[in-house]
Amino acid sequence: MDLVPRSKNIPSATTGYRDQNAALARDLAPIAQITGTPVVTQLQKGDYLGFEVAREHLVAVCRFLRDQLGFDLLSSNSGVDMLDHLESVYHIRSTTRNQLLQLKVRLSSESPEVDSVVSVWPTANWFERETYDMYGIRFSGHPDLRRMLLDDDFEGHPLLKNFHQVPLTVKPRATTQIDPNMAVSGQYQQQNMERVVQKKLGQGQQERLHPGTPTFGHANEAAQRDANVHESTESGQSTRDKNATTDEKA
Amino acid sequence: MATNQDTDLQGLTTTDSSEGVKTQEMLLNLGPQHPSTHGVLRLIMTLEGETITGCTPVIGYLHRGLEKILENRTIMAGIRYMDNSDYLSPMLNETAYVGAVEQLMGMEPPRRAQYIRLLTNELQRIASHLVGIGTYGMDLGASTPILWAFRDREGILSLFEALGGSRFNVNYMRVGGVLHDFPKDWLKECETFLDTLEKNMKEMDALLSGNEIFMSRTQGVGYIDPQQALAYGLTGPMLRASGVNWDLRVNRPYMAYREVPVNTYVRQEGDCYARYYVRLQEITESIRLCRVAIDKMPGGAISTRTPIALRPPRGESYFAVESSKGELGVYLISDGSEYPWRAKLRGPSFINLQIVPELMRGHKMSDAIAILGSTDIVLGEVDR
Repeated sequence: MDLVPRSKNIPSATTGYRDQNAALARDLAPIAQITGTPVVTQLQKGDYLGFEVAREHLVAVCRFLRDQLGFDLLSSNSGVDMLDHLESVYHIRSTTRNQLLQLKVRLSSESPEVDSVVSVWPTANWFERETYDMYGIRFSGHPDLRRMLLDDDFEGHPLLKNFHQVPLTVKPRATTQIDPNMAVSGQYQQQNMERVVQKKLGQGQQERLHPGTPTFGHANEAAQRDANVHESTESGQSTRDKNATTDEKA
Repeated sequence: MATNQDTDLQGLTTTDSSEGVKTQEMLLNLGPQHPSTHGVLRLIMTLEGETITGCTPVIGYLHRGLEKILENRTIMAGIRYMDNSDYLSPMLNETAYVGAVEQLMGMEPPRRAQYIRLLTNELQRIASHLVGIGTYGMDLGASTPILWAFRDREGILSLFEALGGSRFNVNYMRVGGVLHDFPKDWLKECETFLDTLEKNMKEMDALLSGNEIFMSRTQGVGYIDPQQALAYGLTGPMLRASGVNWDLRVNRPYMAYREVPVNTYVRQEGDCYARYYVRLQEITESIRLCRVAIDKMPGGAISTRTPIALRPPRGESYFAVESSKGELGVYLISDGSEYPWRAKLRGPSFINLQIVPELMRGHKMSDAIAILGSTDIVLGEVDR
């Protein structure tokens, strides 16, 4: 057990990390030789620097940061959907300089592709797989770009803003969950089961009704109507009674 | 979740030795339902005899789309969902989330709220480490530590219940402060509990740390060198057990940690035993920090007034706390509405799990559980 004394580089209450950030901004200047344009750093909320980098220079800049400036710990990589474009954001820490840095790469929404930084930080492997999973950003040069958290046959990238969302005002129910009086109708269940099997994850916009439409827990109003007819003929119930209960629910 | 069984099977090699004995690599599936995986983790291992030649973790069985859920909830409603990320340390998760919002809004909670957060965070860290140590002992065949650890953890959960009304999903942190002040005599109870805990931890140390079976199964197993640990992005006790002195409470102090100094424990061995021992020592340090927080507990308000419809300004902020497992970061982007535009969780368990295949390669089958248990992952945070 080694008891290590407390670190002395706690920021002062008045200046914060101002001096360290200024030193870092000076050290970042040589990146202009890689990218050809001067680095424009921006002070982020939380007292750390951030800058944007063109996607073709990303790996070279990252290698410079790791080898020359000692940014040895990739804290996170996150995709962001800004509607007109996608972003891949890297938060990098340096354990020797004791600093945090934010790198941002702007990508097009149509074909988001960026070079992988696995060769610089091996920890980027799973980060990039997750970003690919959630945003569909392709990381070229990644050794094993597969889905991370979702199934292989999942369609779509769920954290994109245009991905199908269930509106908050309507409580969604599982498609197999039906009313008890519907459950007695075997034929309806069969139809419903078939529909569930055919349905792929991430789809379903076509069948979805307007959020305000009362569906009584059924996504498919037509199937419900069919089941009503079926049940009334089987059990000999009058259709008028059936309609009355439906109106009551509405 | 992504795996292709066919390619995994094709990777198996068959060798014919000179004596005419045919050996083939074997595929072993561990999990997703297995007591030693601490959740729903699946490991596909290729074995050559007893030696592990390859390991593929398959995760995502507990994926709830937490980041998407947070995008669809107001910030106030989202705090509660952070409890489910790392379900062994909900207080720390909430602190990370409200910290990111506060950083975005440029506000500072009152000093009393900061100290309450420090106290609850350290109690939560103790609870999380107790589970980590107790279950690790159980993984390696010692059944007493888990009973002792859960007995002690019960005290912390009772304290949380008195404080926030709930044992696990406390939902206690608020933007700008905390939900409740302490009930009557809560701090006294807390001090009594800390005294008991300190005594119990000495017993735990005597029970497990010097245990010969425990030592021989963990020492020298699963070695990570410092460069590898940093390259793989390890944080928390796993990094400190590899000899890198890195703790966000010290190196990038936030909230009350700017005033309360934290001692970090670093081990140079980098094996499973070191990771266990760092956790054990951090409990002792957390007990000390709790006492400091109780002693220095300032008076005043527990929360600043924040609007009910909380609309942070447009912008982005990355805020990280030192969770019990490592760096727990929240990257929050706001478009100026009540809903966060993007909330990314950087879970330490997710990244700490990534190194497991590297550690297992070349070890015996029986070491697999020792290595996996020493990483102390929580699948709720891995899958989010």
